[in-house]
Amino acid sequence: MIQRLGVVALWAAAMACGLWLVTTKVSVHSELADLLPEGTTATQRLLLTQVRTGIAGRILLLAIEGGEPDALVQASREFGQQLRATGQFDVVGNGEQALAKLDKELLFRSRYLLSRRVSLDAFSADALRHGLEQRLDDLRSPLASLVKETIPGDPTGEFLDILAGWSGQEGAEKYRGVWMSGDHARALLVVETRAAGFDADAQAAIQQDIRKTFEALPDRPASLRLLMSGPGVFAVKTKHRIEAEVWWLSTAASTLVLLFLFASYRSVTLVLLSLIPLSTGIVAGIVAVNGWFGFIHGITLGFGITLLGIVDDYPIHLFSHLHARGSAPVAMRAIWPTMRLGVLTTVMGFSSLLLAGFPALAQLGLFAVAGLIAAALVTRWVLPLCVPAAFTPRAVPRGIVPTLAQLSKARWLVPAAAILATFALLWSDTPLWQTDLASLSPVSEAGKRLDQQLRGELGAPDVRDLLVIEGPTAEDVLQRGEAVMAQLEQLRAEGLVAGYDLVSTYLPSRRSQQARQQSLPERSVLASNLQIALAGLPFAPGLFAPFLDAVESARTQSVLDREAFRGTALGLKLATLLVEQQGRWTAVVPLRGVADRPRLGEAVVAWQASGVAYVDLKEESNRLMTAYRDRTVAVAAWGLLAIAVVLAVGLRSVAVLWPVLMPMLSALLVVAALLNAMGESLSLFHVATFLLVIGLGLDYALFFNRPEGADDDRARTLYGLLVCSMTTILVFGVLACSMIPLLHAIGITAAAGSFCCLLFGGMMAGRELSPNG
Amino acid sequence: MIFGRPLRKALTGVLFVLLLDSATLAAVDMPSAPWTVEALVALLKEQREPSMAFEEATYSSLLTEPLKVRGQLRFTPPATMEKAITDPFRERYVIEGERVLFESERKKIKRTISLEDYPALRSFVAAFRASFTGDAAQLQKVYETTLDGTRRQWTLLLRPREKTGQSMVDYILFTGSEGRVATIAIRSPDGDRSVMTLLPGASPGAVR
Repeated sequence: MIQRLGVVALWAAAMACGLWLVTTKVSVHSELADLLPEGTTATQRLLLTQVRTGIAGRILLLAIEGGEPDALVQASREFGQQLRATGQFDVVGNGEQALAKLDKELLFRSRYLLSRRVSLDAFSADALRHGLEQRLDDLRSPLASLVKETIPGDPTGEFLDILAGWSGQEGAEKYRGVWMSGDHARALLVVETRAAGFDADAQAAIQQDIRKTFEALPDRPASLRLLMSGPGVFAVKTKHRIEAEVWWLSTAASTLVLLFLFASYRSVTLVLLSLIPLSTGIVAGIVAVNGWFGFIHGITLGFGITLLGIVDDYPIHLFSHLHARGSAPVAMRAIWPTMRLGVLTTVMGFSSLLLAGFPALAQLGLFAVAGLIAAALVTRWVLPLCVPAAFTPRAVPRGIVPTLAQLSKARWLVPAAAILATFALLWSDTPLWQTDLASLSPVSEAGKRLDQQLRGELGAPDVRDLLVIEGPTAEDVLQRGEAVMAQLEQLRAEGLVAGYDLVSTYLPSRRSQQARQQSLPERSVLASNLQIALAGLPFAPGLFAPFLDAVESARTQSVLDREAFRGTALGLKLATLLVEQQGRWTAVVPLRGVADRPRLGEAVVAWQASGVAYVDLKEESNRLMTAYRDRTVAVAAWGLLAIAVVLAVGLRSVAVLWPVLMPMLSALLVVAALLNAMGESLSLFHVATFLLVIGLGLDYALFFNRPEGADDDRARTLYGLLVCSMTTILVFGVLACSMIPLLHAIGITAAAGSFCCLLFGGMMAGRELSPNG
Repeated sequence: MIFGRPLRKALTGVLFVLLLDSATLAAVDMPSAPWTVEALVALLKEQREPSMAFEEATYSSLLTEPLKVRGQLRFTPPATMEKAITDPFRERYVIEGERVLFESERKKIKRTISLEDYPALRSFVAAFRASFTGDAAQLQKVYETTLDGTRRQWTLLLRPREKTGQSMVDYILFTGSEGRVATIAIRSPDGDRSVMTLLPGASPGAVR
């Protein structure tokens, strides 16, 4: 009695400690990026960095619709102004002031270093004459008032040329000074958030603020609506959707399971007791994941708890073996060898997730492994002590044993089903593996369509095609960029790409800037060239003194680098186009409107430019996921082999391996074939779920093949198995109803797997081991 | 009698002439509505010619003498305007809706820009378009309008209402007689200005 109290007290203390850790020390993250792997190649790392923090992820596309064009213009202006005032955004673009005053001053001051036209004979008398004549034309044109003020300092027009280059990237149409869709039905805005697109919590707060700002616009007609799209919006929507679904799915599943358990045992006590291993497992899982990774992801928590639903099997096995003659500890000792083997093999299965190298799966794996072990230990040492001594369970139906005997007559069906499934898979038109990640995206079709539409109207790249230029220093990358500029221009002329955004078009390399400086003439030479050029032209005397000063100071001006643009909108642009990563520099060149991807790939290879490569991000991310999937499959296969060895040792017989392994392997094949027949291709997440099925299958098979004495015992084991698999099917069946492709995939795989494992395990239940056989 | 009969007769004659004159003037002015911006633009629309030759002089503080160009101004309803400079170089601005085609032989440029990006040009276009389509409401929406003089000799002063317009254009001054515009002067806030003189009919040298 004392010992019994001591054990329970120890458990209670451990739980209290665990709960204290959970509530105070555990940090729950919600940033999806935390679950993404690091990537193994430089390209993959770049891609993942872009996804995490790159500009592509931080852009939000906004549209105002539901009013007259003039009302939209008014709202867009007001909205833009207020958003800028919040300081939450690096850039708020709505067509007004493409470049801020600060940016323009910097460009004007640095025009002779930045202009591509500066060369040795750019300031000869002839060239100057040509420039001056053009300025006269400018003064005569309707645009005179716009360019007039730059003429005294910049008679060769370098500034306007640079400006045209910087602002030439905008694609949206304008109406009364702001961006509008072509039909004037929507005013368009782009904002760039400081927070990363995958930071769902920060994004949610920002989007909330944006909505509030919009609602509070003064004099806003009530009919105006705000539309929002972009990776951040998707991240928030996804998170909300997953949270909402996980909440109702887990509520529905746990209610069903509790009701079912009550129906099975007709005892509230047992139902409550079954929560002991589960809750212990969850706490252990959370503490373990947080201890190892430093945080636990919300999604790990949600999926992990669902996954740990299988530990309910352990108390169910115990309850099913309770009978009037022996106490709970005795019953536990009787089934422990079988259960131990089941736990060990399941843990081995889930360890594959730990080794797959994918953070999301590793967290899930660790959660499951820690939870399973803790739940099993609690079931073994604590739970039996909690069962009331005089407890008499409900008598199990006796018809189960003969039914099983009938079922095992059809044992030949198991290998037959496996063979049939194999052929079905081999001959199927549906590809076995899912290579397009997008199909698993929880983003709705309508959401994707809106995003496409807004991107089209704004002329924003949809960030799929990139040119990547790498080098050991920023200078190297800029020089390489300058080298491929002509070829990119050629691609555009051929129509292979509609546009590109290359850092070198904005920021020349140090080498180019110095070459330009050296080609600038001395003041006296320039003055005399200008004197010759001015002959006969009606410019006011002394007008071009600022020009002479500017060229003179440009000769000694320090060259520009990224730092010089810090704090300006241009600086941000440069920061996103030129990134440093682990000591290497990379220029990211977004390509717009790629007509023919394979041909583009070939064209870039044909340049033979060192450090330059074309990357199709979609292709690359699919490749990345496929690589992780293959690795998981390989690890799981080795895990299976290890399981077989452990089983052979544990069962002390190779012969028993057949009825234990065969049902599980057949179930895997049949479930795969079934999913395939339903038109679903397998993904990384199916693979992860297969590990669960392996664990379940082994557990069932081990209990089916447990050597037992009496029919009563046999009936209890079988009843326990039925209850186990039924709860699993309930939990995952509910999950299969989810609208989120990922949850649906996991749910249907596990539910069908559990059913097949039970059926096949029953069919192949070892007759020779059963005394009734 | 200081005033003899002959003098009285003469005075009567002068009076008669004066009366007659005012009667003829009244005969022209009376039937139409009071001389308003609405009346003016209606008349401009009515008497609009498809094409007009122009001479334009630009006065700027940057220059020692005004720059002159000659060319053609065309208006094709509903909204296409063209300013074609033919001398001393060839340059064309075709404005269709919100789009401006800019074509310069000397600069070897042919590109389309959005009217939105050039507020000065926009105000200018709005003034023309509204005037020639008889849309007084639109004109008064963009500009503060002041009409002076008589139908025979009028001036129309336009001052932009919007700030963007004001930063580029101080005022636009149309002068004319009846439904014909004689000059268009545009003054920018820094004091520089251009004066365009319109000549009726297409000049023989003007080619598209």
